[in-house]
Amino acid sequence: MEILLQLVFSGVALGMIYAVIAFGYQLTFATSGTLNFGQGESLMLGALVGLSLVGTIHGGPYMGYLLMIPLVIVFGALQGMLVEWIGVRPAIKIKSEFGWIMSTIALAIIFKNVAENIWGKDDLTFPSPLDSAPIQILGANVQPMQVAVVVGALAIMAVVELFNRKSIYGKAVVATANDRDAAGLMGINTGMVITFSYALSSAVAAFAGVLVAPLTLTGATMGASLGLKAFAVAIIGGLTSGVGVIVGGLILGIAETTTGYYVSTGYKEVPGLLLLLLVLAVKPSGLFGKAAIKKV
Amino acid sequence: MNFKLKLLVAGLALGFAAASQAADPIKIGVSGPFTGGSAPMGVSMRDGVKLAVAEINAKGGVLGRQLQIIERDDEAKNERGVQIAQELINKERVVATVGYINTGVALASQRFYQDAKIPVMNNVATGSIITKQFADQPENYIFRNSASDQIQSQMIIKEAVDNRKFKKVAILADSTNYGQLGREDLEKVLDKRGMKPVAVEKYNIKDVDMTAQLLKAKQAGADVVLTYGIGPELAQIANGMEKLGWKVPLIGSWTLSMANFIDNAGKNGNGTRMPQTFIQDASTPKRKAFIDAYVKAYNPPQGRMPSPVSAAQGYDSIYLLAAAIKQAGSTEGPKVKAALENLNEKVEGVVTSYSKPYSKDDHEAITADVTVFGEVKDGKVVQAK
Repeated sequence: MEILLQLVFSGVALGMIYAVIAFGYQLTFATSGTLNFGQGESLMLGALVGLSLVGTIHGGPYMGYLLMIPLVIVFGALQGMLVEWIGVRPAIKIKSEFGWIMSTIALAIIFKNVAENIWGKDDLTFPSPLDSAPIQILGANVQPMQVAVVVGALAIMAVVELFNRKSIYGKAVVATANDRDAAGLMGINTGMVITFSYALSSAVAAFAGVLVAPLTLTGATMGASLGLKAFAVAIIGGLTSGVGVIVGGLILGIAETTTGYYVSTGYKEVPGLLLLLLVLAVKPSGLFGKAAIKKV
Repeated sequence: MNFKLKLLVAGLALGFAAASQAADPIKIGVSGPFTGGSAPMGVSMRDGVKLAVAEINAKGGVLGRQLQIIERDDEAKNERGVQIAQELINKERVVATVGYINTGVALASQRFYQDAKIPVMNNVATGSIITKQFADQPENYIFRNSASDQIQSQMIIKEAVDNRKFKKVAILADSTNYGQLGREDLEKVLDKRGMKPVAVEKYNIKDVDMTAQLLKAKQAGADVVLTYGIGPELAQIANGMEKLGWKVPLIGSWTLSMANFIDNAGKNGNGTRMPQTFIQDASTPKRKAFIDAYVKAYNPPQGRMPSPVSAAQGYDSIYLLAAAIKQAGSTEGPKVKAALENLNEKVEGVVTSYSKPYSKDDHEAITADVTVFGEVKDGKVVQAK
């Protein structure tokens, strides 16, 4: 029982990382029907910028962990706006179905190369803001930072959801998500809303980056596999459902750790991906997604 | 352009051509990963090679010709290694190639050298099978001056089982050729002692969570964890143990001395032991000169070489090769190979001094005698006591 609990705890921490990145995919998909395939790279850039601020690699530390978070979020937002401006807006303008796929992937590769040149190609250690000694919960060991990841991930998603539901700007986002053309006719600057959603999406990813960095290692290549797994989570949970990504993330995370233990570590990624295939075959809009009706 | 000027230009061009003919450098290929997780080894190896080449050239080169290295980044990818091998053989026409950090890349690439009759000096890759890939052919062009996995696995088991009396060993190895071949070697040596590992677990490069693997080892009651992998993931293992609040000694292949393990594992890496052919410790004048020259030329952070073993072996590989070219009096592959198999000159390297390091059947320069145990201590590798 303790073992299972330990596996579930690790799985939850892992799953919440996936969930928060997948949440970023959702934000832009809702407003513009496009995805930023460089979501993993946004996370990586956020983590590395955070490391420059709190670590010693660029002459720091310049500030504490908590002070660094807002700066990284601002950086993430600017980076997201850049992606939207260069990669997505031209594709939306000419109503290209696929242009944004290639351009966001291209930008992701460029960001990775830039990061390799600034921060080097090695993985770096991110100083942990919390004590790394584990605490005992019901007989299983949990690191304080793992708890922080789960709490932080839930908090940022809650904040964004609240913003969308309560504030006037958020309502513009929701309106654009529901029907972009109608929202445009109602006087909502939908172009601006899409830019904003990209800013929000990358800001969330950058925040996730500094959240997970103390647990994993930080480096230019950290984003690629996380971004891909999060994409699987977004598909499993559904690209339109906030609950979906959390559940999807937890399923994938726990499936990975338990399969690793009970079946074989060589197969630990298989069940999650099988589930992905199953979902695509049976309910393509995701476990919690609304079926999209494509108007032609 | 008048006729006289044309003549002058033609004359000059010819003159240059003739001059370059006389001082035609001896080209030596260098293939290794200079980016990615094994980059600390690749970069250190290359820098060691460069140091040796600069020293030899300053003394007038070999056979009156300068050495020139052609370095290529194989990114630790088998297919890149193959492309580079073909480029170095057919376009650059190298006399020999040194390098290979990754066993998989070496196995995929060196058949082209074997076919072209050009010697390869593996100076870092450790897979036991590397020098035996073409052992059944009459001429074998593959040499090595690093400690093979066979030597390392025997040392690791000896340390864990005989010296420190651990009874229940767990093996954690990555899913690459390197990790899996090393795991096989470890299991073979254990088998000879009539032992079986209590847990054998696998992980992928870039894995960030080792909970499942470590829990299995813990549940099986392991009192020591043996590893075969590279720096970043090894650090995840050490850090993962802390996450679980479980601490047993880590003993593993020489990669536990990589800077990216030591830095990322931090205090969790202390006490970790691994076989080493070279430790950054000025124990002899020759070693001191080498370490000083390296630190001066490349100025590594905190004066610590990213991978001292790779740098030292890279350095030695050039001296071994240069001695063979000198003895052969030629740069032809078969003659250089024959000279390597019967080196008359004693070669003073930084790892050891090599007298008759190779023979027709033995292409391994390093034996268990010159390999010692290193131990991670506060961010540095020191000799274990």
